Amino acid sequence: MKVNWKKNLFKGLCLTSVAFVFQACYGTPQDFGQDVLIEGRVVSKNSNLPAKGIKITIEDGPQYVYTDNEGNFGFYTMQRDNLKLTFEDIDSTENRQFIKKDTLLRITDEKVMVNIMLDEKE
Amino acid sequence: MNKTPTFRKRIGLEIYRKIRHNNVKLHELNTLFWECTLRCNLSCRHCGSDCRVQSDKKDMPVADFMRVIDEITPHVNPNKTMIIFTGGEALLRKDLEICGKELYDRGFPWGLVSNGMALTPQRFQSLLASGLHSITISFDGFEEAHNWLRGNHKSYANALNAIKMLTKVKNIVWDVVTCVNKKNISDLNAFKEFLIETGVKDWRIFTIFPVGRAAESPELQLSNAEFTSVLDFIRETRKENRIHLSYGCEGFLGNYEQEVRDHFYTCHAGINVASVLADGSISACPSIRSNFNQGNIYTDNFWQVWNDRFKPFRDRNWAHTGACADCEMWRYCEGNGMHLHDDEGKLMVCHYQRIN
Repeated sequence: MKVNWKKNLFKGLCLTSVAFVFQACYGTPQDFGQDVLIEGRVVSKNSNLPAKGIKITIEDGPQYVYTDNEGNFGFYTMQRDNLKLTFEDIDSTENRQFIKKDTLLRITDEKVMVNIMLDEKE
Repeated sequence: MNKTPTFRKRIGLEIYRKIRHNNVKLHELNTLFWECTLRCNLSCRHCGSDCRVQSDKKDMPVADFMRVIDEITPHVNPNKTMIIFTGGEALLRKDLEICGKELYDRGFPWGLVSNGMALTPQRFQSLLASGLHSITISFDGFEEAHNWLRGNHKSYANALNAIKMLTKVKNIVWDVVTCVNKKNISDLNAFKEFLIETGVKDWRIFTIFPVGRAAESPELQLSNAEFTSVLDFIRETRKENRIHLSYGCEGFLGNYEQEVRDHFYTCHAGINVASVLADGSISACPSIRSNFNQGNIYTDNFWQVWNDRFKPFRDRNWAHTGACADCEMWRYCEGNGMHLHDDEGKLMVCHYQRIN
């Protein structure tokens, strides 16, 4: 009998252990994981002028952004130790042509600034 | 399954009751909804909100909502306070990204609830870049059933495309929500297989409560036997462990507690959850009736309202009348979800009574 009481109490406590975890039931699943903010500017190595419309892709996922008219970009992405970014000119000859470039960033802070110079094609 | 909680479950419920009462005393805000628009691109049969395709009410400026965020920031841990955009259809706002970045700069994770209609690949990338952390897509069965409920022949295809996009990303959490009704209940098992095949890992099921347009459509309401069969379906699916399925937040479920959700039932409205509605009203969950509004951001300080008001949410004795007065489950249920009370405070639906 003693064993059953202990067993029941143990089961009861196990049952309630998950009750300490709050989960929003209406709305979205809760995610408190922290992201890293990557910001920067892309310019031409030849002229130092801003490179607009450059597609910046993150290596291990479908995420991408484009540089604006001033060559600026910024995005949040999942925290990790290293982040490989690919800078690619995809608008043909409209704003000059640049050679594709890969960069490996070491993430040491919540905010990373990266300035990139792209070589223009001949 | 007998609906009366077993002895073991009662021990758990008693312990959880103590936790809940302590939680009420602390009332730590950890989820804030923003009803950022009343505009919507669908006209769903079950909609309980005041949304319209062309709303005559202007969207609240981002700056007004951010003023609320600045009021709460000194008092909460931003990293542990989730901001959720809802509507209407939140994606109809073109400045969500601006708001998202502002939130993230202050350390708040944010997410949104969407019907998926306007979630194009470009918009998705733009939201991700602005720090989107979490998203829920409504998906109400196979094409015929979904389009019937949503009132648009493209809604199924667009929602499915949105879900397929989500299956490819790693850095956000997301789930699919299905409102079970008479049109889709018989397909639940096949639909489950389809979701698993599509790559959905987390699925929530809601039943529709008779408020708003839903009250006028009998096809939306399940019989008690059907409702119980949905709970059995969830319970069996959870045992299979092939997809993480839960019943939505509403309703105390007796012996189904802990069998169909990861946690015991509790209504977090006004205890951990608040809302800023489209007109500036301060409420708990957006689906709670307006007579429970506690203030307005244009006339009140949000944080003062959160601390000093919300009494009906934190002391539920006012609900201990009618069918609840003599119910032996009152101590665990405390009058069911706040959104299930009508303008006079009367309980419209008792889930426990509905279980056969």
